[in-house]
Amino acid sequence: MLRADSINVQRGDSRVLEQVSLELVPGQVLGVLGPNGAGKSTLLAALCGELAVSAGSVKLDQRELSDWQGVERAQRLAVLPQSSTLNFAFKVEEVVGMGRLPHATGRERDQQIIGQALAAADAQHLLARSYLALSGGERQRVHLARVLAQLWPGGIGQTLLLDEPTSMLDPLHQHVTLQATRRFAEQGAAVMVILHDLNLAARYCDRLLLLERGVPRAMGKPEEVLQAELLQSVFGLEVLVHKHPERGHPLIIAR
Amino acid sequence: MNPVLRPRSLFIALGVLLALAFFLSLALGPVSLHLLDSLQALLRLVGVPVGDDTLEQAQLIIGQIRMPRTLLGLSVGAVLALCGVAMQGLFRNPLADPGLIGVSSGAALGAAIAIVGGSLFGGIPEAFAPYLLSVFAFAGGLGVTALVYRLGRRDGQTSVATMLLAGIALTALAGAVIGLFTYLADDATLRTLTFWNLGSLNGASYARLWPLLLVTFAVALWLPRRAKALNALLLGESEARHLGFPVERVKRELVFCTALGVGAAVAAAGMIGFIGLVVPHLVRLLVGPDHRVLLPASALAGASLLLFADLIARLLLAPAELPIGIVTALIGAPFFIYLLLRGRA
Amino acid sequence: MRLSLSILLSLIMPAAAFGAETLPQRWLSAGGSLTEWVVVLGGESKLVGVDTTSQHPATVTKLPSVGYQRQLSAEGILSLNADVLVGTEEMGPPPVLEQLSAAGVRIETLSAKSDVTVLEHNLQRLGSLLGDEAKAQEVFAHYQQQLNRQAQWVSAAQSKQAAPRVLLLLGNAGGNPMAAGVDTGANWLIEQAGGHNVATHASYKGISNEALLALDPEVLIVADRRLRGDEAKQALLKSNPALAATRAAKAGRIVVLDPTLLVGGLGPRLPEGLAALSAAFYPASQPLLVEAHANL
Repeated sequence: MLRADSINVQRGDSRVLEQVSLELVPGQVLGVLGPNGAGKSTLLAALCGELAVSAGSVKLDQRELSDWQGVERAQRLAVLPQSSTLNFAFKVEEVVGMGRLPHATGRERDQQIIGQALAAADAQHLLARSYLALSGGERQRVHLARVLAQLWPGGIGQTLLLDEPTSMLDPLHQHVTLQATRRFAEQGAAVMVILHDLNLAARYCDRLLLLERGVPRAMGKPEEVLQAELLQSVFGLEVLVHKHPERGHPLIIAR
Repeated sequence: MNPVLRPRSLFIALGVLLALAFFLSLALGPVSLHLLDSLQALLRLVGVPVGDDTLEQAQLIIGQIRMPRTLLGLSVGAVLALCGVAMQGLFRNPLADPGLIGVSSGAALGAAIAIVGGSLFGGIPEAFAPYLLSVFAFAGGLGVTALVYRLGRRDGQTSVATMLLAGIALTALAGAVIGLFTYLADDATLRTLTFWNLGSLNGASYARLWPLLLVTFAVALWLPRRAKALNALLLGESEARHLGFPVERVKRELVFCTALGVGAAVAAAGMIGFIGLVVPHLVRLLVGPDHRVLLPASALAGASLLLFADLIARLLLAPAELPIGIVTALIGAPFFIYLLLRGRA
Repeated sequence: MRLSLSILLSLIMPAAAFGAETLPQRWLSAGGSLTEWVVVLGGESKLVGVDTTSQHPATVTKLPSVGYQRQLSAEGILSLNADVLVGTEEMGPPPVLEQLSAAGVRIETLSAKSDVTVLEHNLQRLGSLLGDEAKAQEVFAHYQQQLNRQAQWVSAAQSKQAAPRVLLLLGNAGGNPMAAGVDTGANWLIEQAGGHNVATHASYKGISNEALLALDPEVLIVADRRLRGDEAKQALLKSNPALAATRAAKAGRIVVLDPTLLVGGLGPRLPEGLAALSAAFYPASQPLLVEAHANL
């Protein structure tokens, strides 16, 4: 469980994040939305300790984030960055296996988990391929499998932060990926995911946080946050909000 | 692109290769010794009383000339390759070289100060001169690297990109100061400097060998302890942090190990290029980038390669000898170009 | 008393001076001038190898080369079975010399200083190692006589003409000429030949065209590592057009010198070189005749 209390992040003279409070709850997926430059990735960096907060506090399991020892923390908190630059010809199973580095569960168990995490990201067929031979979308799924493997099988007390995990994926795999994320949350993990696609956010997230220029504009259930006027004022885009005919969650259509 | 060998087969192959290189390095030289004499002399050296006193010459050549030289080559090759792996990991670039953090240029500067400064200000006893040269080269390498590291640090974090640029800038600066010393040097000193820059295992002795052996031993023991961290580092620094590794400490250790290792190697044998660049690259092609295999395999391959290069250096022009840096560059540079072209295809 | 006895003995049976077996029979010479002296003293047949600075006489270049005098290889020298390694203090590296002497090779380090008493000592040493001290004495006496005649000739010439202002340029196929400074062997050569070195710096330094014009030498000596004779002169003038404006060039007073005379101390070919330089410095005087050593 990860909790941020009115955190500010300063970059030079400008404040890039202001008074953000949130709690990542076990079993739930929190989606973070906002236009480019709204501070979504900054928020993620502050939540995982990559950026220092200038005010407020970030706590993992009631303890200051900075008090956690490296390995202890890595067993509870996994982060998928927007993009990774890996220039070395590791095999896919080796890349996913790096997610097991903080654990000492033994080779056999690790191999099992690697297979399961890859399957969750629909990338099991890539197992023996060289990472460098993969397409951008395949690489993204491999990295998702890596962070899933880091927390596998997922449970209460574990937190997963994902920065735009679907940015390079085809429509099918956007859904596959987020379904895997949901299932992972259902095991008990708390998940935060940064998304650009409002409909994906509506469908897979339990709650949404809408950021604008570093300030939280709304936080709540998808149907509370995804409102036409609010979206227009934050994104500058005129939209129609309907109800999904089968699932009932909001469906956003540009006008 | 996929690795072609299993780690086990690679280690067996490299072990055999190194044993062969070691044996040939003891058995071959400008003085031709009978194989039987060499073996008997070797046995006598380790205390087995075989043969007779006619072996005295063989014993001297193997024990006092070839053995220290072989151990020096082994050490230099292994430590340069290990440091090459460390730097390619730190910079997350398979084409990085230990020279990037300024250790080679710093050592060259130290050597120039010792060689030229020594002759300018006179007064350095000839017997002490080679030790002075080693000490200065080592100190220069360590000093410049420390400065590069310091320049790369800001707010408790080390920026590898800034270090890279600082390394380039300080290398240029060291080059300028070396140029100044070159200008001040007389002809004979200049040639000493030139030869030093080409590297040589000539004149190896046990007395000057042990500091390097010690450093090589330490680096070879320490770096593999960081193999997993190096693997994680290849994903990116923040990724490695999220996987639980103390990234700042690991970076500091990598820089320190490299400064120590390359500094000691350069101090003992002058500048020997391309081993640190090409060997890790080659081993990676064979077994993939996993540092748990890459580090020990590179050490074995680097040691073997340097011993073979030294055999060429001492036999090609015998009774004169070729500086070994020329041999490694003549083999290494075309191989490197081949790798570049191959990567593009 | 003992000294004269040994001289006496050496006159009667040269090889017996030290006892035949203690005299080194296989020689390795690392130093251009020393090699020449060994040849002059009749030891050429004992040479089994030389270094890269030994270029005279041409026959020694056929011997196995042990490389540059500062980068000798211990095993390379042992492979030639040399009994003695003769060289200057430039010889090295020191650890290799240690290994060689541990292996029983006699190391003879002789000074390369351009100085007559140093030469006397060197020749004595070489003579006793070759088992022919008398010859060494004779050669030295002759050499000193040549230098004396040279000095007398110069002072006679200087009574008729002031010492010319001289600059020596050491080049490589005409390019990057370096001027010889005051502490060089070249400086000693210029002075012995009766000239005045206009350079004031130490060792060999690159020199700008402007500085060259400012120094304005009356005689220019050209030593080129790659080219000989007129070729060297033409190459230098071609790569440095400013030279044409010096007094030396205008008057056609450019002398070409063999660069091997500049290194390794006083060599046997030096008196000839000095006489040639003197003749160029004092064109009005009758040139001094110097006969060359028969075996060089």
